[in-house]
Amino acid sequence: MIHQYKNNGYNIVMDVNSGAVHVVDDVVYDAVALMEAELEPKTACAAELEPETVCAAELEPETACAAGQEPEAGQGAGAIRAEDSPAADSPEIPAELWSRVERQLAEKYGYSAQDIADAMSDIQELIEAEQLFTQDIYHDYVIDFKKRKTVVKALCLHIAHDCNLACRYCFAEEGEYHGRRALMSFEVGKKALDFLIANSGNRKHLEVDFFGGEPLMNWDVVKRLVEYGRSQEAEHDKQFRFTLTTNGVLLNDEIMEFCNREMSNVVMSLDGRKEVNDRMRPFRKGAGSYDIIVPKFQKFAESRGQMNYYVRGTFTRYNLDFASDVLHFADLGFKQMSVEPVVASPDEPYAIRKEDLPQILAEYDRLAVEYIKRKKEGRGFNFFHFMIDLNQGPCVAKRLSGCGSGTEYLAVTPWGDLYPCHQFVGQEQFLLGNVDEGITNTELRDEFKLVNVYAKDKCRNCFARFYCSGGCAANAWNYDGSITGAYEIGCEMQKKRIECAIMIKAALAEDEA
Amino acid sequence: MKKVKTLSGNTLKESMKKGGCGECQTSCQSACKTSCTVGNQSCENANR
Repeated sequence: MIHQYKNNGYNIVMDVNSGAVHVVDDVVYDAVALMEAELEPKTACAAELEPETVCAAELEPETACAAGQEPEAGQGAGAIRAEDSPAADSPEIPAELWSRVERQLAEKYGYSAQDIADAMSDIQELIEAEQLFTQDIYHDYVIDFKKRKTVVKALCLHIAHDCNLACRYCFAEEGEYHGRRALMSFEVGKKALDFLIANSGNRKHLEVDFFGGEPLMNWDVVKRLVEYGRSQEAEHDKQFRFTLTTNGVLLNDEIMEFCNREMSNVVMSLDGRKEVNDRMRPFRKGAGSYDIIVPKFQKFAESRGQMNYYVRGTFTRYNLDFASDVLHFADLGFKQMSVEPVVASPDEPYAIRKEDLPQILAEYDRLAVEYIKRKKEGRGFNFFHFMIDLNQGPCVAKRLSGCGSGTEYLAVTPWGDLYPCHQFVGQEQFLLGNVDEGITNTELRDEFKLVNVYAKDKCRNCFARFYCSGGCAANAWNYDGSITGAYEIGCEMQKKRIECAIMIKAALAEDEA
Repeated sequence: MKKVKTLSGNTLKESMKKGGCGECQTSCQSACKTSCTVGNQSCENANR
C-alpha cells in the first residue's frame, strides 16, 4: 500500500507496509501513482475482489478479516488469520505495466526520456530494497490476539475525584466522574501498586500516573505511594516510572522539588492564550486560572531543565485557530507541548464538528510551517503530535496492539475499581474488577485484547494504521458505539498530523544535508 | 538514486526480528490522555 501527498513543496511517498518514507521529485511521484493505481485497487475487503470469498469480519464482528483470505471452519472466536500468502514482500511488476507507465509519463505528463529512465531506475531500486510496493506481512503477529497472554504494565491512579477548577469540557465532570467526590486512600493505592507488580510478569518498567480530578488535592497520598513503590523495586526487580497530570493550582516549591526527583514526566494542563484558557478552565466561582498557573508552570518547566514534561492543552470549536495557542506556549518559553482536540458529546456547543475539519487541517499545516521555521532559527520546540521516530520507533507488535487500554493499561478509581482507561471510569458497563480481586470481568478484558488495526474495518486500508495503531478505544466508543469502531473526525486530524510530521522530517533532513 | 531521498527504510519488517518485548511506554501515559499516538514513541528494547 502506498500513500503519497504533497505538502509545503515536498512530494512524500510512504510505503505503508515496510514503513519506508521517501521524498521524491515530480516524475517519481507521478510514476508511483500510476503504478499504484494498477497494482492496488482501493478496496475495503477481499470480498469485493473475489465475490466467492467472504470477509470474516462480516461473519463474526469481533474477528478481523485478513484481506484476500477465506475464513476457515472451526476457527476459534477471535482468531485472526495468519498471512499464508507467499513470503515475497514485493510483487513482480509485469513488463507491460512498466512500459505502460513510461508511455503515460511521456504522453500525459510530458516528461523527457532521460527523466523517465532515471525515475524508473530509482523505483526499481526501491522495489528491490523492499521499500516500495511491499505487502502486508504482519498478520502472523495477530494470529490469535484474544488468546494472547497480556501483562499489566501501567496504571492511571485516580488519586482524587475532586478538582479545584471547573473546566467546561471536563470528561470527568469537574473531577467527579459520574460519581461522588472522593480521595484515594493510601491503602487502596498500595493495593493498586501490589496488583500492578503481581500482574506485570517479566516486565521491568512499570508506569503509574497520578491523575484526577486534581491529584495535588491528595498530595500526601501521592508522596506515600511513591515511597511505597520505591521500597518494592529491588525485591521484585521492577522500576517504577511515576508521572503526574496537574492543573497547577496547588503547585509549590516543595511539590516541584519532589516531582523533579521522582516523576519521570509531568503533564501540566493549560489551554493556550489567556482568553482561550480562561473561557474553558475557570475556577468554580468563574475566575480565570491563567494568571495563577502560568508563572508556576514556567518555573516548573525551567526547574526540570525544559525536559520530561508537557504543557498540554485542549482545543475546542471555540479556538479552531489553535496553532496560535501552541505558538503562545512557545512564546512563553515552553519547549515541550501538546494541544489536542476536545473529546465531547456532539451536542456540546464546543464540540468539534465535521465542518470544522478544513480549518483544523489548515491550522496543522500553518503550525508545521512555523515549527520548521523556528527549528531552523534555533528556537524550536517539540509539539507532541509532530514528533515521529522514523528509524528507532516502536516495533510492529506495539504498532498493531495500540495503547493497551483494558489489558496493559488500567485506570483505578479512588475506591479501587478497575476500568479499561481513565476515559471509561464511571461507565458501569466497563467495570473490569477491583484491586482486591483483580480483573473479574475477563470477557470484557478479552474484548479489549481484540482492539488492533486488523480488527477495525476502518483501519485496515488506512495509511496511518501503523502510526496511530487504531486510535483511541474511548473515542471509538463515544462516537461509533463500539470499541473497535473509529472516530472519523479524529482520524482525519490524525492523518494530517502524521503527514505534517513526516513533511517536517523531510524539511529538516534537507537542511542537514 | 537521482530522484529519491529515503528518510526511512524497511524499518517495520526489521522490527519483527526482535520486537514485542513490551518495555516501551504505554501510549496514554506520555502526554495525550485523549488520543492514541504510537508512532512517535521510542523503542526501549535493549536487544534490538
